[in-house]
Amino acid sequence: MVTKKGLRGNLGRVVIYLIVLLLGLICLLPLLNILALSFSSSDAAAANIVGFWPVKFTVAAYRKILEDGQFWRSFLISVARVAIQLALNLVLIVLMAYPLSKSEREFKGRNIYMNLLIFAMLFSGGMIPSYLVVRNLGLINTIWALVLPGAVPIFSVIMVMNFFIGVPKSLAEAAIIDGATPLQVLTKVYIPCSKPVIATIALFSIVGSWNDFFGGLIYMTKVANYPLQTYIQTLSVRLEDILNSGGSLTTLVNAMEVSKQNLNAAKIVVSVIPLLLIYPILQKYLITGIVMGSVKE
Amino acid sequence: MKDQTKQFRRQFRSALLLGSLTAAAVWMTACGSREVKQEPEVAAEDGPFGAYQETLRCGMGRSTIANPKFPEGDTYEDNAYTRYLKNRLNVQIVDDFEANGADYDRQVSLSIAAGQLPDVLKIGSKDLLDELVENDLVADLTDAYETYASDYVKEIYDSYDGRCLDLATYDGRLMAIPGTNLDSAPSVTYIRQDWLEKTGLSIDPEGDKCITVDELELIAKTFLEQDPGGSGNPVGIAYVPYLTVDDYGSSGFALNAVASVFGAFPKVWLADENGQVFYGSTAPEMKEALGKAAEWFQEGILDPQFGTRTWDDITALLTNGQTGIAFGPWHIPDWLLNNVRGMNPEARFAAYAIADEEGKVHVTHSNASNGYMVVRKGYSNPEVLVKMVNLYFDEMVNSKTLAQDQPEVAEYIQQGVDGTARPISLEINAYTSLLDDYSDIRRCVNGEITLDEVRTSESKSVVASVNNYLADPDGAEVTDWAKYTSRMEGIDLIERLTTEEQFAWETPAFWGVTETMKTNNASLGTLEEESFVAIVTGARSLDAFDDFVAAWNEQGGSQITQEVQEAVDGKEN
Repeated sequence: MVTKKGLRGNLGRVVIYLIVLLLGLICLLPLLNILALSFSSSDAAAANIVGFWPVKFTVAAYRKILEDGQFWRSFLISVARVAIQLALNLVLIVLMAYPLSKSEREFKGRNIYMNLLIFAMLFSGGMIPSYLVVRNLGLINTIWALVLPGAVPIFSVIMVMNFFIGVPKSLAEAAIIDGATPLQVLTKVYIPCSKPVIATIALFSIVGSWNDFFGGLIYMTKVANYPLQTYIQTLSVRLEDILNSGGSLTTLVNAMEVSKQNLNAAKIVVSVIPLLLIYPILQKYLITGIVMGSVKE
Repeated sequence: MKDQTKQFRRQFRSALLLGSLTAAAVWMTACGSREVKQEPEVAAEDGPFGAYQETLRCGMGRSTIANPKFPEGDTYEDNAYTRYLKNRLNVQIVDDFEANGADYDRQVSLSIAAGQLPDVLKIGSKDLLDELVENDLVADLTDAYETYASDYVKEIYDSYDGRCLDLATYDGRLMAIPGTNLDSAPSVTYIRQDWLEKTGLSIDPEGDKCITVDELELIAKTFLEQDPGGSGNPVGIAYVPYLTVDDYGSSGFALNAVASVFGAFPKVWLADENGQVFYGSTAPEMKEALGKAAEWFQEGILDPQFGTRTWDDITALLTNGQTGIAFGPWHIPDWLLNNVRGMNPEARFAAYAIADEEGKVHVTHSNASNGYMVVRKGYSNPEVLVKMVNLYFDEMVNSKTLAQDQPEVAEYIQQGVDGTARPISLEINAYTSLLDDYSDIRRCVNGEITLDEVRTSESKSVVASVNNYLADPDGAEVTDWAKYTSRMEGIDLIERLTTEEQFAWETPAFWGVTETMKTNNASLGTLEEESFVAIVTGARSLDAFDDFVAAWNEQGGSQITQEVQEAVDGKEN
């Protein structure tokens, strides 16, 4: 009986592992394909014969990227943008979420602020009004046009606020009895307890600002100011656009030259490297909170 | 380029979005009814190349591409062409914005919404020009053109018999400088010549480079049976899911070449002998063309995966040797078939036209304009646009001493720096320039004229490539092979058909965008595309074509037809 049950348990585990493995492969294989494409020759890429191993191996695509000044300029702009956005987000989100995590009794008018936030989360200004505001503030073509419109992501504020609400009150009370100021309560009690949620919103912020291309598209009027993803987006050429916009044959040939699939693949590979490096660093914070066991109820 | 069908849909959607956005923006600006003040003029010397006495600042919207090939340090704002303009006319270009493709259109909409149009800007679409003119946002260029356009530039536009300038003329006033678009018919059928030889197929014994639909069918069948590419999985003829297009430039992998034999001209507006306009896709001839395609699908000559096979997939079929037949404009060897040669060093393509039983190749004239340049109303010196056109399309092209006077510019042309680097990123060429340039190339390659007598530097570089190819056809560089194939096969075919008078021309009646087109074109396009795919694949019978026509008329088509009729009649009166 016991062995039978054990067998069934093992079988279940095997099935689960198989499913997880399959899901993992679904995520991994496209990346492998892109990696193989980036090391293949451009005609092999066009012939659609590249699977998970490069065909007619060449590093020509990477050599071309190294020579592409704009790629690296855009890369640096993106790095600067992520750094500023991350710092700004963390400070503003925490400072906003903390008071909002207090009850209406402790913080009069808390519900009004909350409703305002939710309203702003649900209804946005739309593209043209946003553009006009940014333009009239004189932010066009500055890095602040990329950073300030997303300085306070409300969804993240609410996440952090909810997490703060879940932190046992007794911890804060104990700190206050020990003579901590409100700021100390925040920095010494709440923030250390909330590493998982802070790591999560940091990840949102990094991934969001690294991957966003649309902001660059409308707020930057010169290619030289484009962040990386905006620049990469412009490389995928729509034939119709060129044919319909009075472009010459040379324009067509030049444009097709950069939209080669192996080159695009190499650009994607280079552009995901920073994110791949950041995930493992943040992951250790994501696993659990440390509030458990700190209070006896 | 990635996925043409999806893009096509997406483009429809984004065009719709962009269209309404632009309309809203124009409307907002117009309602503001700001009084447009004419800025004080900057004085200049007389004549088409009269320089300004003080530096004229000209803010521009620039349509760019991702691979302009600038030498290190040069930008769109500061390059050999803008410096040439500064030195010659004392005009300083300042870019208000630069963007690619659809992003450029978005920037234009945003600048309209902000009420800050650049002084001079390029616009791609006719309907945006309509909006700008209706709302009085652009300057009247009639006098500027009359006074300042150089004789050569006027000759270029005259070579189109007014068909080009007409598209930018409203109530007799010229409101924009249009780019020219010469006829690039036909949709050429490129066939793997090395496969024809390998299979021993004797096609076109007369050597007139025209084949009939039956011959095309025979070629496809033979390629299917013998698999000369050795792929193990050959495909006969592959078409993109959207099947038909309205312009020869975008006719890659489209049915247009075959459809024209039946007298069908999908997606363009034509007029019958009584002056009644009709939409080519709904004409009975289109039914015949679809019938042929459906028959091929049934027999397996047409790609069994038609409808899901995208542009990129078809490129892949060609490149890995599954198919050896490609339809498209004459220049596809330069940017599409070059992949085939890269993968298969023995590949050679021959260009054919598909003709009817009498040997006639049925084609339509293209829209004579492609893109427009406009000047913001109120700008101090609207004539600067015309002077720029003179500079880049007369002096620069015709100067025999360009290399001495403007070495930088000559260097740019030599290096193939992209044409978008010119502040005027339109093409303005005489109607016959395609064949004129080709005749230079052909005669120079044959030794009839010397390289110095070849008129343009572009042609000179083609001659060099062709000679490189001819010196070593098997080991030639892919770019040399591509230029040889597109010119000595592709344009040579056009020249032959022109001199032998084998073209049967139709003239489309209308190229504009009417009110109902703006709202209904996206859904009508989808209806057309889906109906055609269903008919060709046999999901619906051929007679479902009549249902499609009825549905098309009902969903706004008849309204559009009426609007087009009114527009065409209005023009004649």
